[in-house]
Amino acid sequence: MSVLAQPLPEVNPLQDPLRFERRVPPCTIVIFGASGDLSKRKLLPALYRLFYERRIPPNFAVVGSSRTPMSDDQFRDRMKDSVAKFLEDAPFDEDIWTSFAQSLYYVPGDLNKPSSYDDVRNKLDQIEKDHQTGGNVLFYLSTQPSYYAEAVLALGEHRLNRGNGWRRVIIEKPFGHDLNSARKLNDEIHKVFDESEVYRIDHYLGKETVQNILAFRFGNGIFEPLWNRRYIDHVQITAAESIGVEGRGGYYQEAGALRDMIQNHLSQVMATIAMEPPTVFDADNVRDERAKLLRAVRVTKPEDVPKYAVAGQYGAAKIGGQDVPGFRQEPSVDPKAQTDTYAAVTFFIDNWRWADVPFYIRTGKRMPKRVTDIAIQFQAPPLGLFKQETKSGLREVRPNLLVLRIQPEEGISLRFLSKSPGSGMRVRPVSMDFNYGSSFGERTPTAYETLLLDAMAGDPTLYTRQDMVEASWQIVQPILDVWAHTTFTFPNYPAGTWGPKESDEMLARQGHVWRIP
Amino acid sequence: MSTSVIFPAQPEQILKGLGKLWTSLAQEEKQQGKPTVLRACAMTLIVATDDPDGGYAASQTISELMREHPSRGIVIAVSPEAEHGLEARVLAQCWKPFGKAQQICCEQIEIIARPENWPNVGPTLIGIVAADLPVVFWCRHNAALSPLASRKQKAGLEAVMSLATKTIVDSKGEDAELRLDLLSTWRKLGRTVADLEWTRLTPWREPIANIFDNPCREIKFSSFRKVEIAHGGEKPGALALYAAGWLSAPHQADVSFTQAQGKDDGLHRITLRSDSEQIDFERTGDCMILRSTNGRSRRYTYKEASVDALMTEELSVVGPDAAFDSAFARAQELLND
Ligand SMILES: NC(=O)c1ccc[n+]([C@@H]2O[C@H](COP(=O)([O-])OP(=O)(O)OC[C@H]3O[C@@H](n4cnc5c(N)ncnc54)[C@H](OP(=O)(O)O)[C@@H]3O)[C@@H](O)[C@H]2O)c1
Repeated sequence: MSVLAQPLPEVNPLQDPLRFERRVPPCTIVIFGASGDLSKRKLLPALYRLFYERRIPPNFAVVGSSRTPMSDDQFRDRMKDSVAKFLEDAPFDEDIWTSFAQSLYYVPGDLNKPSSYDDVRNKLDQIEKDHQTGGNVLFYLSTQPSYYAEAVLALGEHRLNRGNGWRRVIIEKPFGHDLNSARKLNDEIHKVFDESEVYRIDHYLGKETVQNILAFRFGNGIFEPLWNRRYIDHVQITAAESIGVEGRGGYYQEAGALRDMIQNHLSQVMATIAMEPPTVFDADNVRDERAKLLRAVRVTKPEDVPKYAVAGQYGAAKIGGQDVPGFRQEPSVDPKAQTDTYAAVTFFIDNWRWADVPFYIRTGKRMPKRVTDIAIQFQAPPLGLFKQETKSGLREVRPNLLVLRIQPEEGISLRFLSKSPGSGMRVRPVSMDFNYGSSFGERTPTAYETLLLDAMAGDPTLYTRQDMVEASWQIVQPILDVWAHTTFTFPNYPAGTWGPKESDEMLARQGHVWRIP
Repeated sequence: MSTSVIFPAQPEQILKGLGKLWTSLAQEEKQQGKPTVLRACAMTLIVATDDPDGGYAASQTISELMREHPSRGIVIAVSPEAEHGLEARVLAQCWKPFGKAQQICCEQIEIIARPENWPNVGPTLIGIVAADLPVVFWCRHNAALSPLASRKQKAGLEAVMSLATKTIVDSKGEDAELRLDLLSTWRKLGRTVADLEWTRLTPWREPIANIFDNPCREIKFSSFRKVEIAHGGEKPGALALYAAGWLSAPHQADVSFTQAQGKDDGLHRITLRSDSEQIDFERTGDCMILRSTNGRSRRYTYKEASVDALMTEELSVVGPDAAFDSAFARAQELLND
C-alpha cells in the first residue's frame, strides 16, 4: 500500500495572535426577521460595535429582510435609533454609524413567498460585486421558530445554500419544542446545510463569564483535583429574573421556564461546569466533551418527576408599594394558563466524577432580583473543631462555597471560615472576591458580538451541535411530558419571592437548602 | 483625591498613606449607603522619568492606561528641582465605566527624587509593589539609559529592573546600534524587554501578515527572498531594523536599506520581492498603500499611535513575545553584518 503525502499548507510565519485581532473574512450577513425585537436589541448593536472596534472587515454587508415594507434608507434610520438606544456599555458615534450604515441593505419579503428568496439572491449578487465579499454569506434566522425549517428548505430550493464562497446559517432558539421536533428540525436543516455549516445559537455560551468557567477550571491547577464527588457536595445553578414576561406573554405561555431556560442555556452551563477537560481546546473537542456530559445526565423516570422537578407560576403581589400582576393577568395570557414561570430540577450525572452529586437548577420570572450564578458547595471538613459565629446565628454546616457569578457583578467568590478577632477560637464565614471589572478593562463584548464574530470566522466552539441539542432535550423531555398531563394549582408563589415551597422541599429531601444569591 | 506629601518616602509610610486613602474612600461610600467604589489592581506599573515636566506626562498616561490595565501605578519623577531628597504622595485615579454606577479606582504613588537619590529608589519600591502580581517597568529615565550614564544612574536602573517582570523602553530617535546593544545586554541577563518601536510596527505588520493569510494566494511568503526597507534619517532606526528583522527572520531573506530622501525619521516603505512578484507597502501622510505587481492595490488609513495606545498594547503582552524575540535577534545579526 502506498500513501501519497499531501503537501501541508504553508503556515504564515508573520501572524502574531498576541497582537493582531483574529481576522474574519469579508461576508454578507442576511438577517431574516430584521424588523423584529432581537435584531433591534441585540444583532444590529452587536454588529455596529464590531464595526466600531474594527473587528469586521470593511467589505462586509448586512441585508435585513422581513415583510414590513421599507427602503434601504428607512431600514438604516430605524436601525440607527435602535442601535443608539440598545448599545450596551458603549457610546454611540454618529460618524462611525454613517460609514457602518453604508453597508446596510433591506429586502422586503415574506418567507412564504418564493419571490422573496429571488429578491435576496439578486441583492446578494449585487453586493458580492460591490463589496467584494467573495460570495461568503451568513444567514441569520431571527424569525418565529415555526419558520426555521421552511426558510432553510427554501434557501436550498433557491440554491442560496451554495455560491462562490462559504454559506452558513445561524438558528435562533428555541431549537424545537421537544425532542421529536428538534430531531425533525435537524433532519430538515441537514437536507440543505451540512452540520459544519449550521450554527445553533445559545447566547449563554457566548457570555464571557460562561467562557471563563473553562479558563477557571482548566487554566488553573488547584481546582480540578477538588472538582468531583469526593469534595463537592452539590451544585446549585440559579438564573433568576426580576421582570415578568414583558409583553411576550403569548410566546412565553407556550414555552415555559423549563423549555425557555433549562433545556438550553442552563443545561449547557451545567455541561460547562461538569464536563471533562478536552484534550485540545478546539471546537470538536470542547463540543464532544459537552455532549458526552449531557448524555451522562440521568434521564428522570416519569414516576420520579414529582420528586426531582418543581413547576411554579407567579401570582400577583405588591413589590415596593406597587401592584405587580400575576402571570395569568399579563396581556395575551390565558387566565387559566398552566405555564411554568418557575422551574427547578435536580439532575444527577451518572459518571465516575459526579455519581450521586445533585445538580440543582432553578430559573424563574419575577424573582426578588436578576441574578445568574453557579454555586459549588464543597463538603464539610471531617470534624467541626471550632465554634461558629454567623450573622444569622446559624452554623454553616458546609463552609466552603465557590460562587461563579455570571451576571450581574461578574466574578468569582470563595467562602471559607476565618477566626473572629478576639480571644477564643471562634470562626466566622468570610468571602474572598474576584470581580471582573476590577481586573480587566472597562468593557467585555456582549454574547452576540462574540458569537457573530465566531460564526463569520467559522469557529463553532460556542455553538451547540446537533448531538448536544438532542441530548439536552432528552433530559428535560420526561419532565415536560409529565407536566403536560398535570393540572397544577397555580399560582404557587407570589411575585418577588424565590419560588414555591415545593422547591425548598425538593432540596430538603436531600438535606440541602437553596442559597439566597 | 490625594493625601499630603510623605517625607521621607519610606515604604511603610507610603503603605499607611494608601491605607488612609482607601479608608477615606470607604467612608464616602458609607455615607452614600451603597458600594460606589471598586478597588482595582492587576499589576504594578512603575514609570521612571527625568522629563522636565516632573512626571506630569507620565502620570497622565498612567491614568489613561488604568481603564484597560488597572494597576498600582508608581511614577518616579527624577528632578533636580525636587524639594526633598525623596518624597512621595498617594492618590487614587477613579473613573466610572460607561453605564455603571460604581466607580473603579486604582491607586497611584508619586515619588519625587533628586537625581542623587535615584539609586535609593529601588529599596523603596521593593516594599510597595503589589504582592504576587506582575511588575512592569516603563523606563523614561533617559539619562540612565544613555551610554554616558554614570555608574550610580546605571545602578539605580538595575535596582528597579530587578523588580520587574518586564521592562519597556522607547528607542524612537535613539542611535539604534547603541540601543539594541543595551537591550541585548539586558536580554542576556534574562530580563524581559520590550521596545515601543516594535509596538509602532504593529500597524505595518498586521496588513502585511494578512496578505499571506489568503489561502488562494499563489506566491507564498517563503518565495519572497528579498526585503527592502526605506527609512528616513541617515541610518536605519530601531523601527526599520525591527521591520527588517521580522520579515527576514523566517527564511533568512536578503535585506537592503535605502534612505527615503527628504522624509522624516521612521519607516516609509517596505518592499518584498520574489522572482515573479513585488509587493510595496508605502506610508504617505495618513494612509498606507499596498501595491503588488500582480495588480492588487489597497489603501489603509494610518495614524501614528499615541504613546498611550502603544503602552496599552504593550501591557497586554505580559509573557514571552516570540515574534519580537526572533525579530530582535535577526535585527542584531543584520547590524553585525
Ligand atoms: N427577543 C429576544 O431577546 C430573543 C432572545 C432569544 C431568542 N429569540 C428568538 O429570536 C427569534 C426572533 O425573536 P424576536 O423577538 O425578534 O421576534 P419578533 O420581534 O416577533 O420578530 C419576528 C420577525 O420575523 C418577521 N416575520 C414574521 N413573519 C414573517 C414572514 N412570514 N416572512 C418574513 N418575515 C416575517 C417579523 O417582521 P414582519 O412582521 O415585518 O414580517 C419580525 O421581523 C425568535 O425565534 C425568538 O425565539 C429572541
